[in-house]
Amino acid sequence: MAGVNDDPMTRDEFGSGGESGVAVDRVGKTYDGDGKPVRALDDVSFGVDGGEFVCLVGPSGCGKTTLFRIIAGLTDATDGEVRLAGAPVTGPTTNMGVVFQEYHLFPWLTVEENVGFGLERSDRSEAEREQRVDEMLELVGLTEFRDSYPKSLSGGMKQRVAIARALAVDPELLLMDEPFGAVDAQTREMLQRELLDVWGSTGKTVLFVTHDVAEAVTLADRIVVMAAEPGRVAEVVDVDVDRPRERGDPAFGEHVARVRELIGAHP
Amino acid sequence: MATDTSSRFDGDELRFGLGLDDPRRLLRGAAGVVGFVVVWHLASLTQPAYVLPSPTAVGDAFAEELASGTMTTALWSSVRHWLPGTIAGTGLGVAAGVAFSWSGLLDDVTAPLVRTLRPVPPLALIGFAIAWFGINDAGAAFIIAVGAFWINFYASYGAVEGVSEDLLDVGRTLGVRGELDMVRSIVLPASLPGILTGVRTGLGRCWMLVVASEIFGVPGVGREILRASNNLLVDTVIAYILVLSLMYLVVDVAFRAVQRRVLVWRA
Repeated sequence: MAGVNDDPMTRDEFGSGGESGVAVDRVGKTYDGDGKPVRALDDVSFGVDGGEFVCLVGPSGCGKTTLFRIIAGLTDATDGEVRLAGAPVTGPTTNMGVVFQEYHLFPWLTVEENVGFGLERSDRSEAEREQRVDEMLELVGLTEFRDSYPKSLSGGMKQRVAIARALAVDPELLLMDEPFGAVDAQTREMLQRELLDVWGSTGKTVLFVTHDVAEAVTLADRIVVMAAEPGRVAEVVDVDVDRPRERGDPAFGEHVARVRELIGAHP
Repeated sequence: MATDTSSRFDGDELRFGLGLDDPRRLLRGAAGVVGFVVVWHLASLTQPAYVLPSPTAVGDAFAEELASGTMTTALWSSVRHWLPGTIAGTGLGVAAGVAFSWSGLLDDVTAPLVRTLRPVPPLALIGFAIAWFGINDAGAAFIIAVGAFWINFYASYGAVEGVSEDLLDVGRTLGVRGELDMVRSIVLPASLPGILTGVRTGLGRCWMLVVASEIFGVPGVGREILRASNNLLVDTVIAYILVLSLMYLVVDVAFRAVQRRVLVWRA
């Protein structure tokens, strides 16, 4: 791994991921598929700067979810490494708040207890934990549902709880895998606006995996476009459109067209 | 909205699964019982009492046994080995089921033993019950515990196997570290519905095993049934069978109430 940080591709074009961000450094993953090795990810490198909002898009089968799991420390990479705030990720870490597509709330815990789950394992005092849970519930607007169980919540509300739960331990990075894929279009737009508000007020670094190009253009500072077979970075697109972004804005449409073209060009 | 949910559950607890909150269901149930007793009565007219006694003869036998104090003494004797046998078998069965299912190593080590011991009927172990514990409550409790053990072992084993891998991943990202923490904070609560179904089945099975556990001379309801059978007192046999049914019903209703309270979070 010596000299990897000097790689101009990693440092300049893809962002350094420096002290407070994320660096995905020449990550590769080979699966053993029926005795024949399958290359799921090949030489994937990009960075996310501290406080930056980056979306990862790509066609299905490009290894988005595998990459997500590697960054989260849930799956080991075959080659390369992921660094969070300069330290290699060797397993799940509470310095990363992870939000999954299917919410995966703990059904036996109330909203409040779900949000406080990670805090229970931190060294905070009980008073601090309670205050933090209150803040998080306030942040996602679920204070009045604090005593409800997940079964009585809508999909959108469940995902807000999942976001609050991930943010409660105050992680460096918010890592999200198609978090709004399971809700209807109207709820999705509302959640996107809310996520941007949360991002604005917390200043977190966000890495957001999606297959929805318009969603990526709505949210991201930069979009990492992936290509399939093997999964790799096709290009990184800067989104130079002022927020809040309107879908009717010509610049918005141009970015969507550009990213779609990139995905299409790398089938 | 949260209060709506809790009040709905309080209402459910009153029902106890017997349809007590629904007059129509109650009426149909009563009609079924009355119909059965009428058919039984008509059938008993055609048979001698040692083949099929009439419902009234059974009622008389019940009253007689109750008045003489034999029934309450027998019931108390049975409870003295039913309760410790059920508690020990349930506790050990759940503990072993969870442990063997969660730990691949324990599972591998014990799988051949488990498969060898599983088909052994509790009744076949009477020799051991006598040799190890004697003809007393402890010996009878042993027979009951063996029956409870396997039901709870397999229910818990299956429940733990069914715990979603995704919930474990969420736990890992939220700082759950080590097997014990994972089992305590995620595996046990997630598998609790399945475990409690096993406990409930086991409670019923243990009342059935009361008869088997008293076959070698320990006093109790089962002993009274065997004694009456030997004397062809079929009305007394049925009276004591009714005692077992009533005990099963009482325990089941009580357990269901507890189960509903513990699992309020379930959809």
